[in-house]
Amino acid sequence: MNIIEISPLQLVFCLAFVMVAGVGSLLFKLRLEKDLAWGTVRTFAQLFLVGYILKFIFDIKNPYLVILCYTWMIFWAAQTINGRVKEKKVHLFTPTFVSMVVSYMIVAFAVTGAILQVKPWYTPQYFIPLGGMIIGNSMNAISIALDRLFSDLRKESDTIELALCLGATYQEATGDILRAVIKAGMIPSINALMTVGLVSLPGMMTGQILSGTQPLTAIKYQILVMLMLVASTAIGASIVVHIVRRRCFTKAHQIAIS
Amino acid sequence: MRIELRSVSLQHDGKPPVFQCVNLLVEKGAFIVVQGASGVGKSSLLRLMNRLQEATAGEVLIDGQPIAEQEVTSLRRKIGYVQQTPTMIPGSVEDNLDFPFRFHSAGTELPPNTAEKQKWLETFLIEGVKLHDDAMKLSVGQKQRIALIRTLLVMPEILLCDEPTSALDQQSKEIVENSLERLNIEQKIGIILVTHLDYMPSRANSQRFLLLPDRLEEVST
Repeated sequence: MNIIEISPLQLVFCLAFVMVAGVGSLLFKLRLEKDLAWGTVRTFAQLFLVGYILKFIFDIKNPYLVILCYTWMIFWAAQTINGRVKEKKVHLFTPTFVSMVVSYMIVAFAVTGAILQVKPWYTPQYFIPLGGMIIGNSMNAISIALDRLFSDLRKESDTIELALCLGATYQEATGDILRAVIKAGMIPSINALMTVGLVSLPGMMTGQILSGTQPLTAIKYQILVMLMLVASTAIGASIVVHIVRRRCFTKAHQIAIS
Repeated sequence: MRIELRSVSLQHDGKPPVFQCVNLLVEKGAFIVVQGASGVGKSSLLRLMNRLQEATAGEVLIDGQPIAEQEVTSLRRKIGYVQQTPTMIPGSVEDNLDFPFRFHSAGTELPPNTAEKQKWLETFLIEGVKLHDDAMKLSVGQKQRIALIRTLLVMPEILLCDEPTSALDQQSKEIVENSLERLNIEQKIGIILVTHLDYMPSRANSQRFLLLPDRLEEVST
């Protein structure tokens, strides 16, 4: 591995990039100087913090700590989804969080334990970054799907009630909507399969190449990741959408959101 | 089948009651017209009877049993509800008439054959409408009648009609009113119809009520 370490001094030089943007902001009166400064401070602080936490976890190699860390990441993803999907009437956090923990643990384990056969399976160097990508991607899929679920349920409420009035269960009355919603959540990861390597080089792959990995090794990892993400977005979106749909109806098959 | 409302009230969270203390007895084969100003809760009153909504106080009884004890999907097939704004599913008129038979609660019931469906269209005098026509492109009046037929194909014992004629011209209005009265006489289907219009059924046994915020008042016919 012929990796070039970045020295603290070199990092300081990088501040010049921000200063270029700062000068531009002053010149064009964009009033972004404060945000730029604060953003830069946060970037340094947050990434150094994450770096030290990861170093700590990598050194200890304790399965419970790895799982705790993974659960913590999922917790914040579920929080983010909760914030993005502006829905007042239905409680989203718990069902999203629980189903994400269960399904992503399984997918992450399948990748490290069964496919890569990392020993032990929880080796943080593999488990945390791969698991992190699962979370990041399916977080988007779940947000898209939930957003679409609530808007479709409201838009189609007359058709849903028509079906309910004719003796349909809420599952029957919303079958078409559910399919459309899960599909909407999955389309970005399917599109990514089509364009990967053509439009841009994936971040993980470029990262590996920068740190000295052979391109052919890096693309194999990228293929693994792409396929893993299709599975995890499909599983994550389907489970969450099913659970949340249940909460949009009462036990007597009445629409509970208006 | 018999529906009974006992001091039923409806109130939405943090708002004044929509209506209170409504009492009503719907005997088998009844013909009931409920009138009232708009916003007084006429639609909600119907929706309590097929359990699309729950009463906040009082009891809704079906054949003497609380409505909550009934299996709700089969209840809704026995107590048909025709929405105020007719909703068509995307597809042909025939797709719409077959729609009620897609659900598990239909059991072994099958949609009627083409000839029978054609006959239904003629009964409701939907002139010029063919089974393969696009249901979305029909006029409101035509949709209204397709919606009514669609509910009747399930063979409900009671039919809840929400403003069935308010969007119709005079001629279509009379066709629908006459058809409802005929269904009531010939097939003993109980009819509960809410409307803000003045409607005086020609049925001898019909009852008229006025929905007020604090009661349901019988109007002498």
